[in-house]
Amino acid sequence: MKARIGKLVVVALLAVVPITIPAQSPGDDEPRYSRKGADTCLSCHADAVTMAIFSTAHAVPADSRSPFGRGQLQCEACHGPGDAHSGRVRRGEERPPLIYFNDSDNTAVDVENGMCSNCHSGDMGIGWHAGPHGANDVGCADCHQSHTRLDAVQQTSTQADVCADCHQLQRNETRKAFAHPIAEEKLACTDCHGMHDDIVASELARATLNDTCYRCHAEKRGPYLWEHAPVAEDCGLCHAAHGSNHPGMLTRRAPLMCQGCHSQDGHPAVAYDTGGLASSTPSRYLLAQGCMNCHSQVHGSNHPSGSKLTR
Amino acid sequence: MTTTSPTCATSPWTRRRKLLAGFCAPLALAILPVAITAQEVDTSEWVCEFCPFESGHGGNYAVGAASVSEDSAYIGDGTGYDKEGVYVAVSGDGAYVRDAWRTRWSLEDIGLDARSVGVEGTRAGTFDYRFAYREIPRRQFNTTSTIFAETAGDLSLPPSWIRAPATAGFAALGASLSPRNIGSDRSIYDIGGSFLPGTNWELSAAFRRQEQDGNRILGASYFTNAALLPVRIDYATDEVDVGVRYVNESLTLSLGWHLSEFDNGQSGFGWQHPFTTSAGAESAELAAPPDNRFQQLTFSAGYALPVWNAYASFSAATGEIEQTEAFLAYTRNTTLTTSVLPAVSLSGDVDTSRLAFAFTASPTRKARLRLTYRYDERDNNSAQYLWNRVIAESFVSGDLESNLPYSFERSSLKASAEYQLFDTLRISAGYDRNDNDRDFQEVAEQSEDSGWGRIRWRPLQTLELDLRGGSAKRDIDRYNEAVAVAFGQNPLLRKYNLAYRYRQFGELTLSYSPTKLPVSVVVNSLYADDRYTKSLLGMTSGEDVRLDVDVNWLLSERTSFYVNAGLEDVSSMQAGSGISGAPDWRAAHGDKFSTVGAGVSIRAIADKVDLALDYTLSRGETEIALDTLASGVDEFPELEAESDYLRAQLSYRRSERLDVTFDLRYQRFRSEDWTLEGVAPATIPVVLTLGAKPYSPEVFIFVIGFTYRVGDT
Repeated sequence: MKARIGKLVVVALLAVVPITIPAQSPGDDEPRYSRKGADTCLSCHADAVTMAIFSTAHAVPADSRSPFGRGQLQCEACHGPGDAHSGRVRRGEERPPLIYFNDSDNTAVDVENGMCSNCHSGDMGIGWHAGPHGANDVGCADCHQSHTRLDAVQQTSTQADVCADCHQLQRNETRKAFAHPIAEEKLACTDCHGMHDDIVASELARATLNDTCYRCHAEKRGPYLWEHAPVAEDCGLCHAAHGSNHPGMLTRRAPLMCQGCHSQDGHPAVAYDTGGLASSTPSRYLLAQGCMNCHSQVHGSNHPSGSKLTR
Repeated sequence: MTTTSPTCATSPWTRRRKLLAGFCAPLALAILPVAITAQEVDTSEWVCEFCPFESGHGGNYAVGAASVSEDSAYIGDGTGYDKEGVYVAVSGDGAYVRDAWRTRWSLEDIGLDARSVGVEGTRAGTFDYRFAYREIPRRQFNTTSTIFAETAGDLSLPPSWIRAPATAGFAALGASLSPRNIGSDRSIYDIGGSFLPGTNWELSAAFRRQEQDGNRILGASYFTNAALLPVRIDYATDEVDVGVRYVNESLTLSLGWHLSEFDNGQSGFGWQHPFTTSAGAESAELAAPPDNRFQQLTFSAGYALPVWNAYASFSAATGEIEQTEAFLAYTRNTTLTTSVLPAVSLSGDVDTSRLAFAFTASPTRKARLRLTYRYDERDNNSAQYLWNRVIAESFVSGDLESNLPYSFERSSLKASAEYQLFDTLRISAGYDRNDNDRDFQEVAEQSEDSGWGRIRWRPLQTLELDLRGGSAKRDIDRYNEAVAVAFGQNPLLRKYNLAYRYRQFGELTLSYSPTKLPVSVVVNSLYADDRYTKSLLGMTSGEDVRLDVDVNWLLSERTSFYVNAGLEDVSSMQAGSGISGAPDWRAAHGDKFSTVGAGVSIRAIADKVDLALDYTLSRGETEIALDTLASGVDEFPELEAESDYLRAQLSYRRSERLDVTFDLRYQRFRSEDWTLEGVAPATIPVVLTLGAKPYSPEVFIFVIGFTYRVGDT
């Protein structure tokens, strides 16, 4: 028993020791911070882009959490210790790099993101690590700009352009004839998508696709007396949310779209040909709203006589 | 002297130390002296005398006037520029900063139908708040006209209307039509904030209200006749979110409550039928979307494990949807004797459950593992009743029908592993499994197994290739033909979302950024091929091919250029049976889309002028061909939509504080759509339409604006 207690004490001591070890004196290989902080940096980097940091929440002296809060590490809070970088460099030698946040440097993404998450770990959704952005090594700075008064990815009018740097195929879809007003800069990608994967395994603003659509289209939520089975299950079975060649952002044209699931004897099963166009014998199944000329309540009906979704 | 040890808020080195110390003490003891390089930092001389900290008020405010050359619903959709004429708008953004207090605001296009206002502020480290207002116009048609007038909520016919069995007999049609645009305005109000009671805690609350007013098109039928109605939209949706979150270096916990309540200003739409009807069936009623309420309680947790750089996250949510809208009557036809409604309302009740789990780890520096699981259930507990509906306001069906409260359960499991074979090569593979169980449908149990592989190869610093491909097989326990027949379906039909499907897919991304040129080239492509090999009727195959090339070129420090081009080809085949019960027609549906965008931006020409030119050409085509045993191949005219969009923006810096901006937009949209082309209100003998025409606007919008900068921030 005593031996067991002794082991526990040793383990407990081992656990405590690392926390109480005094900070080490900087060794030769250890990066050192500069002597004058930002003043050192700004003596060379006083360009407009760098100075724009002072128009942001990162440069608030009264905020002790801000990199420029009192006693904080200023530029080096994000870019890392800068003593070597700001010191003398022999002719022909490259200046030692800092941590940079752009595509052209060699700073590893996890180092970049680690710097940001020192303060913003709460902003990183809990699903980030397993989500597509985390899995594809997307860096915070791939989307966010910290040296600007207005971060483009946080503005409705400019966010889609930032996302399109990687999501070109989705950008193209928004240029289709029928799309949400993303190209018009009135909707942002984050109106539907959870960029930081706040919800585990969702990638959307809400837990499911339908819950996300119901944010703006709550009238489709029901439950209706007469439900249309695919509606409650997945809006994406009929609609292309990024854009479509067809009105209502449908994936195909009626009546073919409807006939993919409806084959009842009579008019649902018939092949409607060009004889039904306006120039020939105008067909109620092809023209105007097509099937929805009569079955207009495709999202469901709450009418006691509405079982065929016509009421 | 101020001595700062880089705290959690400032240094990753210390963060790692704490993490290691807390969870892996013995190992940390051995590693710390080498791996952790925290140092005491003397910041007493860090006075930041060159730092121009923001203080006071500053902002940019603009007033502008726009001239729009013609009416167009298409151009006005989302923009508010739907009518010819002159528009005046005010925009701007600004900030007020004083010590830890910061307030920012923005105004956009105040004066237009599409406008927004935003205010957000914070007292750093204590609380923040926000308010936002957005107005988004939906402009669908401005070429429509109707005979209906709204009277006490109902759509009524003109007093002089003469009913007829077909549109050709509508003698009073011409005199009765009056223009009625179709569209709506959506107003969105957001208000919210968060409070930080301590370093690790955050309390948040948000309220959002959306109002949508306007009209939309809704078909209203009587046997084989129908009239398209411009029915009113009067929706309001309120959302409330309240949450509490705890975050420390390794653990995140959150609890949230969400409420969404939809309120429709009307329960139904009454209308008078323009066609000849049986006695008593002259007017009828459509149900409007019912009021509903959704509540959800969510608990989430994320934990950074002390080994393998692992992270585990979990969330669980339980919710309920309620719908208690009072039913309308079976019919308005007072000459009919109908059954008593079995209930006054559905008392709709749907329970929702969501569960998700994710785990990632790097057991070695070169390996990564990923596992996600999610479960989603919609359990519709709404009661089932027997209904004796009235058909076309004319007679009681007599066949009792039961409503079907559809429920489903679905789960998804994804597991993948990645390994860095060489510095330049990473390979990964994964397995996905989806299960879907449904009530009241032809397929009760459905599962999909998917396997994929991926190679990420970076042979040069400037070149990266990302290739992913795999296949998926979706299978079912059985397609219950008895259920299909009960719905009146052809038993050979396989609904495409329920059918057996074999899918092959691939994606390729190529990125190239030469070292010697400030150019980046990205090529993206996607391919998917679906085979519904067990479907005789319904969808039998589908194919999706997409390609995009993006080139960005920084010509100089001030000049950048881009060009992008995309192609998309989505096609499907389906079979139907019109006469024989066996497949006797096939249809091919092909959507093609191509787009080209290009632009140049030149900043600070002579230190005074910024110029940006952007051009986008988009073209969509849909080909539909029908192949019937009786008539052979019959090709529909192409459905086409083509858009040219050119925008030139010039900003002239008149002085330190004043900019003059010129913004010219040209948009031409041309569509050929046989569903609308030549379809006047009376063209279809049995459908009275609104006569909407295909879009064909050619619009110039010229905007001149003056932006004035105030303050020094």
